[in-house]
Amino acid sequence: MEKVALTVNGFTQLVLVESHETILDTIRNRLNLTGTKKCCDEGTCGSCTIMMDGKPVLGCLTPTLRCVGKKILTIEGISAGENLHSVQKHLVKSLGLQCGFCTPGVVMTAVPFLEENPKPSRDEIKENLSGNLCRCTGYKKIIDAVENAAEEMQS
Amino acid sequence: MSGAIGKPTPYIDAVQKVTGQAMYADDFKFPNMLYVRFLRSTESHAKIKSLNVTEVEASSGVVAVITGKDIPQPFGVLSISRDETAMAIEKVRYQGEIVAAVAAETIEAAEAAVKRFRVEYEPIKEFYTPEDSLKTCESHEQIHPHTKDHKNIHKTAELRFNEPEKELETAKHKQTGNFKFAGVTHGFTEPHSAVAMWNGDETLTVISATQVPHYLHKNLSKVLGLPLHKIQVKKPVLGGGFGGKSDPFPHEMIVSYLAMKTKRPVKCTFSREEVFITHHGRHPTEIAMSISCDDDGKLTALDTDIIIDGGAFGSFGVVTSYYNGVLLQGPYKLDKFGFRTRRTYTNKHQCGAMRGHGAVNPRYAVETLLDMMAHDMKMDPCDLREKNFLSEHSSTVGEFRITSNGIRDCIAAVRKKSDWDNRYGKLPFGRGLGVACGFFISGSALPILWNRYPQTVVHAKLDFDGRIVMFSGASEIGQGSDTMLVQIAAEELGIPMDFVQVEVADTKTTPVDLGSYSSRVTFMVGNAAKTAASNVRSEMAKAIAKEKDVSAESLIFKNGRIFTKDKSLDISWEEGVEMAMAGRGAFVESGFYISPKLGGKFKGAGAGLSPSYSFGAFISEVEVNPKTGETNVKKVWGAHDCGKALNPLAVEGQIEGSIHMGLGQVMSEEMRYNNGQQMNANFFDYRIPSSLDTPDMDVTIIESNDPEGPYGAKEAGEGPIHPVLPSIGNAVFDAVGIRMMELPITPDKVLKKLKETA
Amino acid sequence: MEYYHSPDTIQDAFSIAEKCDGNFIYFAGGTDVQIYRKQNLDKNDHIIDLSSIHDLNSISLKDGNLTLGAMTSLGDIITSNKIQNKYPLLVEAAKSVATPVIRKTATIGGNILVRNRCTFYNQSQEWRNGVGSCLRDVGDICQVTGGKNDCYSRNVSDTAAALIALNAEITLLNSAGVSQQPLKDIFLPCGIKFHDLGNDNILTQISVSMKPKRWWYKKLRLRKTLDFTSLTVAATIDINNIARICLNGVSMTPILIEEPLETLTLENLIKQARKNCKTVDNDLMPLKYRREMINVFLEEWWEYEHRK
Repeated sequence: MEKVALTVNGFTQLVLVESHETILDTIRNRLNLTGTKKCCDEGTCGSCTIMMDGKPVLGCLTPTLRCVGKKILTIEGISAGENLHSVQKHLVKSLGLQCGFCTPGVVMTAVPFLEENPKPSRDEIKENLSGNLCRCTGYKKIIDAVENAAEEMQS
Repeated sequence: MSGAIGKPTPYIDAVQKVTGQAMYADDFKFPNMLYVRFLRSTESHAKIKSLNVTEVEASSGVVAVITGKDIPQPFGVLSISRDETAMAIEKVRYQGEIVAAVAAETIEAAEAAVKRFRVEYEPIKEFYTPEDSLKTCESHEQIHPHTKDHKNIHKTAELRFNEPEKELETAKHKQTGNFKFAGVTHGFTEPHSAVAMWNGDETLTVISATQVPHYLHKNLSKVLGLPLHKIQVKKPVLGGGFGGKSDPFPHEMIVSYLAMKTKRPVKCTFSREEVFITHHGRHPTEIAMSISCDDDGKLTALDTDIIIDGGAFGSFGVVTSYYNGVLLQGPYKLDKFGFRTRRTYTNKHQCGAMRGHGAVNPRYAVETLLDMMAHDMKMDPCDLREKNFLSEHSSTVGEFRITSNGIRDCIAAVRKKSDWDNRYGKLPFGRGLGVACGFFISGSALPILWNRYPQTVVHAKLDFDGRIVMFSGASEIGQGSDTMLVQIAAEELGIPMDFVQVEVADTKTTPVDLGSYSSRVTFMVGNAAKTAASNVRSEMAKAIAKEKDVSAESLIFKNGRIFTKDKSLDISWEEGVEMAMAGRGAFVESGFYISPKLGGKFKGAGAGLSPSYSFGAFISEVEVNPKTGETNVKKVWGAHDCGKALNPLAVEGQIEGSIHMGLGQVMSEEMRYNNGQQMNANFFDYRIPSSLDTPDMDVTIIESNDPEGPYGAKEAGEGPIHPVLPSIGNAVFDAVGIRMMELPITPDKVLKKLKETA
Repeated sequence: MEYYHSPDTIQDAFSIAEKCDGNFIYFAGGTDVQIYRKQNLDKNDHIIDLSSIHDLNSISLKDGNLTLGAMTSLGDIITSNKIQNKYPLLVEAAKSVATPVIRKTATIGGNILVRNRCTFYNQSQEWRNGVGSCLRDVGDICQVTGGKNDCYSRNVSDTAAALIALNAEITLLNSAGVSQQPLKDIFLPCGIKFHDLGNDNILTQISVSMKPKRWWYKKLRLRKTLDFTSLTVAATIDINNIARICLNGVSMTPILIEEPLETLTLENLIKQARKNCKTVDNDLMPLKYRREMINVFLEEWWEYEHRK
């Protein structure tokens, strides 16, 4: 095992990790940040999406040791202590979630997407979310929510 | 209605879910907790010749090792087919069946230990297809000893009314088809997970991702030999079910047993592959069906013979066998009707209940045959259907009581919105429209385990804080039942929704509810919640009336105030609470729902009985590439009669989700096997449609106001899936003139058929 | 035991590799290899993660010649205006890989060298225990063909197909120095050892100098995202009217057919393609259909090329 310093949601701490561990297991099991979900554990569903230095990555495919010296942001860090992010707000409002298990991954995909692409078309939103498996909503209301969030963030 | 009912309402747990605060089963961690991993069978059908656990027990971090004989008591969701044990005893029946379990200090230690089992199998003849299972075999080859005639037939369900076969023999207009459906699975995102704890007072607490805490509770008692009053099952936030979490499962028995044995918290969470292995999804199905009608297009008979491939164990299979037949009694009026369903055991993952339980595949068959009939008789497929709809307040041939029925409004809506009349049959080659209808139970009128209780009880508690807490055993699985409880209490008591909170799905603290299956929650729990909340109102009104000397009936509860019409009395909710609690303190009022006595007296009459039925009509538009056979679903128009949309946002969500799941089954999803081994037990190869594969959707809610539903409501979670599949199949016919009799409609099948018909 | 190394320079990577004595695997983005690790299909003790070597992450277009650092992400390729303008075929191919989020991590080098796939091989250890034999894993019988000699696992790189059609060259670096060769030459017609880079070489650059007059790209898959290819066809016509048609997903290597457009006939093209593709039943799309689609895709390209 290795002792490493990880910066997660703005806070740096020492963590003892296995060298083969993925950041998904580290944040869930060692840091108790259980908001990030483990659904397929093989890169097919997007549920474990987090941000590394502002870029969305899949937690289940990212070695923890690759995250050393990087800024990790998880769902818990998106709205901590403040108002909900527009994306979160509109997912709530438009019912862009049902069981909610894919939702943290959807938020962590959509937030950096809107930063990169503030005025997306509906098709671009659809394309961007194509790696986020949702079994409940049929995607329509998720796409609605991201569309509405983009509009709100523009105004 | 003045308050919360009928308004688009975000879920009460939505903020928790978007912030990652919602706690799902795998998110629970307790001090001193152990982790469980399983040895799973590498054989499909084999005797366990030897199983050596010595090295496993000696493995670092291992605390307990158990095998089949430690938990020998069989269980199953249906009392008539308790054919499964927590782990295989003496023989294995499918590849992936749990043979032994290890509890260790860490997941890694458990994983390492599992590799050290030494197991030897002696293969037994395998049965991979229903065709194999229908044949006679040696008795030692039988998958289960209890099946009859040396065959592996689990159940034969058959009902016949008025000799349909005779009518079909001589019918002038007759359509016959042989259909084949691959198995599909729920694909919920949250893997199964359970944590068990043995408490200091010698009671067991199980936190599990389950749709049916009550049935799990009862099965745990039976399997563990623990009295019912010593068990508590809690359902945390649940990441999707769709029927896939509606059985009691082996891993739940195992973690509970291990918690009792080790006196430590024990957790087990499945890998995605284990979720696929556990399955309990929709049965692979073969259907031979014939229908006939008279010169006017009125249906005269339907007869069908169905074989469903159940896999290794029973699960809900007996119910599935009946539902495949009995749920064909609507939405069309049929006087001559018959079916036989045979469910076979095979050495594959077991099948069970999945959204639209039992009726999805035969619905595809009926709607396809109707389309063929319309085509041959040169009638519009919508017109043909409209001639045959059951009317409101009528009865089916199998004595289902039909109450509200909005199907005519449904078909009118999608017909108009899709511009059907101008476009059907007129689109260029490669583009087509298809229509289909559907019908489903709004809650099973009979409980799974017979008893004399109501199907659900809800308690509403009022206390000094002025808040109403709704206690219900109902399981929120993403469909919005918790939000419904709050809406109903707010509506009945005229208070804002934030005055109402819920305590749910905990078999110790909440009154019994049978679970979230068979689309029963809105209708049954909704009614019970309404009664409970209105009983609180009556109690409050009585107390206020007495203190203020007005008549209780004259009091209006609205906008957080309680007043008389002339406002001579006008007090706040809080003042009302003070008066209601004077001299008695906090109180609880109850409401329950028990369905009316329904149905006929013949054997099998109970299957499919429901206090109400939902209806729907869908039209789909597709584009087929005749060179590659690729089918692209462009748009789906869906209209569903849910009686009354208590929360229109949630109803739309259910319909949209049904379109997505139906699309998956009809276009790309399929449990693929090579002998007993699943070739695609992962989300790469089990192809659930992505956001890019899901078509545009246009959803119409039809409100027929059911006389017995809460505020007129019926189900919306399962009914909408039925018409999706055949509407797409029928659209393919309109596009390129081929009948797809086999699902999923993959490009290779389309191309093959195009070549055959060319 | 497992060890993770994250060198900042290629030289460091080499010296770590040398110490590991063959018992290591390189991670580029790692999005594919990570799954092989989880499934115990890659059992090397050492991971050498190249993602900190920033020299390998670059896009440059000089005199119309495109040079890509091997660690450039597919996402960066897709959003690069330069590449969009000059090499839209490469953008199309990159876009058809995996999902938008994965493409932000997955690299062009990694995708070119993506491991061959087979329905019987790309499974968990527990699953494979149930089968018992696979020429590429354990045992001596192939579950697909029943044969004992050859593994036919498929090359599934979409970007390799595009780059080969673009006549791309790659730069390899090893301790002896730099070498260049056509991309198409690194692949070996073997399902087990499908390229000859070995452990000594690091793929550092991909360069394209051909300016196609026309291009065409199509990928066969059931869903519009995530799926590995069941058949990819990438085609170009260069200024000398040489047609380069590259098929992938249907054989152990990408299959290139290179011929002057003038002498090429559709019949001959299809014949060559069908002959050179060793397509076996190792994908979830049926074999017969995949073979048929080779014809259909080539016909479609032909029609596109000869449209009025």
